[in-house]
Amino acid sequence: MQLAPRAAVIAVLVAAAVLAVAGPARAQVLQLDTSHSVFYESPTKTHMFVYSPTADITASPWTWIDIHAGWEADVVSGASVATKAGSVYGQSHTPDVVTTASVHDFRNVGRGEIEIKGNTGTSLLAGYSYGTENDYRSNSLHVSARTDAFQHNTQFQLAYARNFDEVCDRVQDTTNLNQPTTWQPLENSQGCFTSTAGRTTHDISVDTYEASWAQSWTPVMETQLTYSAQLVDGFQSDPYRGVIIGEGIKAQEHVPNDRAREAVTGRLAYYLRSLKGALRLMVRGYHDTWAIDSGAVELEAEKSLGENVRIMARGRLYRQGGAVFWSDDYTGGAPPLGPRGAYWTGDRELSPFWSFLGGLRIVWTIIPEHKRLLGFIQSFKLAGSGSVEDFSYDQFTLAGIPISNAWEYLATVSLNLGF
Amino acid sequence: MRLVAILLFLATMAGCATVAPEHRAILADPTMQFDVDAKHEAGMRHAIDNREGSMGGSGVQGGGCGCN
Repeated sequence: MQLAPRAAVIAVLVAAAVLAVAGPARAQVLQLDTSHSVFYESPTKTHMFVYSPTADITASPWTWIDIHAGWEADVVSGASVATKAGSVYGQSHTPDVVTTASVHDFRNVGRGEIEIKGNTGTSLLAGYSYGTENDYRSNSLHVSARTDAFQHNTQFQLAYARNFDEVCDRVQDTTNLNQPTTWQPLENSQGCFTSTAGRTTHDISVDTYEASWAQSWTPVMETQLTYSAQLVDGFQSDPYRGVIIGEGIKAQEHVPNDRAREAVTGRLAYYLRSLKGALRLMVRGYHDTWAIDSGAVELEAEKSLGENVRIMARGRLYRQGGAVFWSDDYTGGAPPLGPRGAYWTGDRELSPFWSFLGGLRIVWTIIPEHKRLLGFIQSFKLAGSGSVEDFSYDQFTLAGIPISNAWEYLATVSLNLGF
Repeated sequence: MRLVAILLFLATMAGCATVAPEHRAILADPTMQFDVDAKHEAGMRHAIDNREGSMGGSGVQGGGCGCN
């Protein structure tokens, strides 16, 4: 595997800075993390497979500062829905929905962060990340501040991130730039982010805000309340996807450029002494300006087995309504042949659906009190988890064929070492 | 505005519900932490974010298209 040059340079420079300032060891000064996830999706004939490795290093040369560098990647193969067609069109045509939509991508993200910590739980953090894909570039700045109050029983945190992203597209017919019905999907990512004729880029800016309040109420109960908001401005379609919008007419997916999103998340943790474990509940409500409303409920039960092992079981229920402009079939709208509405999209993520996730996790931790493991390791944590998610789509079909057996599988192993 | 006022009131009242340091042992237990395994969980959260039309509650960072 080869890191994208700019991401690699950033990762190496930040890692070098981390190691340079780490200097002589005082207590634990270095932490290494790596994780490896595999994702497989069986529905929709896509057979999407994603392998996601990560590597992180955190140095704490002094008690008041943490310096962090990290890298993550997604290695993607499979197929995607290339042409969105509905049941009306599917009755008289056999549109090629996924077979020619091969996806082979390699997403790389390099990042660095500095966190300044105060004596009373106060901290300030600033970071930058750079991500590349065959057809996407992302520059992201993020800052956050947190503080404690009332003898550490109350924590407040504010965070903000700004993304300056670009997505590749084909150059559309310049005589019809105001006619989205004539736009055609991007054929492939060849020539993206070069001066190749026929390729261009669109800007996407993303502002994300988050404020949270965590509170310990009793010796066995704490809560967290989080408000999140996001403003997205720019090209938010899948540039490769075409949508059948009329009899024989296929146009590039076309959705609004502006989107404002907000969510409120409440979390509660309650310790059950009799079980020597805790229950954690998460409830989230979400709304955006595309009229998507959703709710998620997640329940986790985690129990300690002896001093070093924790096991956790998780269930998650999710429900969302569709975007106001979403339809499974965009033909037969405005006379004589459509399209229906001003916007159209093949995103099943914008359609109404239910999902249920179940999962297990086991964590093995060793923190010796008086000596180091193998003479140099201060802490060791190995974790493994697996989850299965089932989707039930209310309306989304593949040219009129309902989606069945819509399962996704995800497994992760991770290792954390402290020195 | 009313919601903000209620939240400010609750946050102020939170000072009356402090847990003394000597009683915080269980609160420090890893099973009581919301994000103690956040790095391990990041892969699953990333997959969920790319398959749902919503966001929020898991930090401000993120990037990439997730178009596929």
